[in-house]
Amino acid sequence: MRLLLIEDYRPLQKSLTKGLREAGFAVDTTGDGNEGLWYALGNDYDVIILDLMLPGINGLKILKELRAKGRKNPVLILTAKDTLEDRVTGLDLGADDYLVKPFEFKELLARIRALMRRRYQEKSPCIKVKDLRVDLAAQQVWRGREKVQLTPREYALLEYLAMRAGQTVSRTDIWEHVYEFNSAASSNVVDVYIGYLRKKIERPDKAALIHTVRGRGYILGAQS
Amino acid sequence: MRSLRTRLLVGIIGGMMLLLLAFSLIIYTVIRRALVNQFDASLAATARILAASVEYDDDEIELELDVQMMPEFQSLEKPACYQFWQHDGTAVARSPSLGTDDLLLFEGSLGVPVFRALHTRNGQPGRAVGLKFKPRTDGRDDEQQPTKQQTLTLVVARDVGDLYYHLRFLRWLLVIASVGTIALSLLVAAFVVRRGLSPLNSLAAQIAAIKEDDLTVRIGSENMPAEVMPIRKRLNDLLSRLEASFGRERRFTADVAHELRTPLAGMRSTLEVTLTRMRDINEYQASLSDCLAISKNMQAMVDNLLALARIDAHQMTFHRDRIQLAELVNSCWQAFLDKARERSIVFENRIPAEMSCQSDRESLSMVLSNLLDNAVEYSNEAGQIWTTTHHVGDRVEITVANTGCRLTNEQVLQVFDCFWRGDSSRTETGVHCGLGLALVQRIIKALGGHTAVEVQNGGIFTVRLTLPDSLPA
Repeated sequence: MRLLLIEDYRPLQKSLTKGLREAGFAVDTTGDGNEGLWYALGNDYDVIILDLMLPGINGLKILKELRAKGRKNPVLILTAKDTLEDRVTGLDLGADDYLVKPFEFKELLARIRALMRRRYQEKSPCIKVKDLRVDLAAQQVWRGREKVQLTPREYALLEYLAMRAGQTVSRTDIWEHVYEFNSAASSNVVDVYIGYLRKKIERPDKAALIHTVRGRGYILGAQS
Repeated sequence: MRSLRTRLLVGIIGGMMLLLLAFSLIIYTVIRRALVNQFDASLAATARILAASVEYDDDEIELELDVQMMPEFQSLEKPACYQFWQHDGTAVARSPSLGTDDLLLFEGSLGVPVFRALHTRNGQPGRAVGLKFKPRTDGRDDEQQPTKQQTLTLVVARDVGDLYYHLRFLRWLLVIASVGTIALSLLVAAFVVRRGLSPLNSLAAQIAAIKEDDLTVRIGSENMPAEVMPIRKRLNDLLSRLEASFGRERRFTADVAHELRTPLAGMRSTLEVTLTRMRDINEYQASLSDCLAISKNMQAMVDNLLALARIDAHQMTFHRDRIQLAELVNSCWQAFLDKARERSIVFENRIPAEMSCQSDRESLSMVLSNLLDNAVEYSNEAGQIWTTTHHVGDRVEITVANTGCRLTNEQVLQVFDCFWRGDSSRTETGVHCGLGLALVQRIIKALGGHTAVEVQNGGIFTVRLTLPDSLPA
């Protein structure tokens, strides 16, 4: 899952980026309003975390601009302004959630996950595909009764496939939602990671979970 | 007398009592005089009839019988009485009702009746008329010259019981009417005063209803008489001022909270993220350094806030000191050396070594540090900062200038507002929370000087401090 963090206070930006990456998210970060808007318009982020007071152009303007351009990406406002009026203004402009600084990092993670589930219309925090179980809250994967150990990148890839289980997911989609802006672009990096993932979750005695759709991409589980 | 109502009531009722008393006295006096005059006129008429009916001859006096039978002399209860005297004072005739008593003899000039109050035989008050007149004489003496002996004096007295009864009745009537009027007036006045003062009660109720947490309410003008309107207006003005002042206070507190929250969030998230897993020692070290830097920034902000609060509460104490300005600027600059080097900023202290000023060292040092910090922060990369001084009359002008200012002339006027920042956001470091210049301005004011800022062509931002060469007393 790919996030955009627009936050100009350097220490917060640094720690959040680190924490979110460690939590398995692909994170693009900027501290400038204009740059943030440019990022947000250029990519289909799963969640945009937005500070309000920014140099360049402020957070509310970014939000307005995004919604005016028809972008529906979930936006979580992160700000020190906590009056009811501020919250109402933010939510009315099309924000999906509002978190007041200082906050608990775990709460931020939980809210981001909730926004993602909503985006992929997945109510349960646990996605099941046959006997594969992806626990979105604990970020754990089980095949039958056996726990599967994945690297953060592999988990991110599986999580995205699981969110869209039964749908064909293109390589571009995967690239956009799992990798960061400044990741080294390589034509087959997605295929390589799909290979890693297959090794870890497929079982020789069971039917395959990840299917390749020639020329289009991949499917997790049976085609719907 | 504190109560407006009592005061009004006492005023109205007191005034009415005085007026009623005066009018009653006038009415009584006028009516009494009219009645007495009427009584006297009737007494005089009786006397004239008596006088006209007298025939005097040779010391003999003859009264016509029908005159003697006049009802006033026949009354059994309160008979009138009369007595005739010759001019030598000899009584020549008296009414039967008089018995053997004498009436008091008194007279005016000839033909002019004179009146007097007296007591009748049975001790009742009465009035009498004395009339000196020339009686008719016999036909024989008609040709004779009237002589002195021929004048007679007649006194007619009559009981005034009826008159006094009527006057007493009038007195009581006036007293009862006055008391009744006053009693009724008291009721009416109490009602009217209460009604009249009710806007004050409603004003009090409206004021009482104003809560300290909602100063947006204003006192309405409904049913408010013109006299109370100025009070209402002043109160509303006061409320507006209070609201504005509380609003500023609230905004300031909110701004402070906001400014503290951001670094707190940074620190908390740095610590939480670091604690999510075991890390190597370098990572812990990096996180702790970050947190230390944040806490230093927060401390700087809290110090500035405290200094601001102290200045506002006039709790700043100054120590008079002769300060070498060039030296002070150099010592303040030490704190920013690294940062300036990092951004390749060139600093030039153009203050002559001998330039000095009598002021408070600690405050001036705080001012210069804030200004230099600001200059390093907002100067362009590889920009320039310089300080100068001049004597302006008996004052010393210190300027701190830096290149790379992007503010417009309008924005420059706002730099002294607390928490105002040129780009409406904190800077990357979070140090500059917009308090610096506000603090500078207030310290300089407390030191007896004044602060001005300007942006010149080419983006040169200059802060000009004008200080007296000695501290204000």
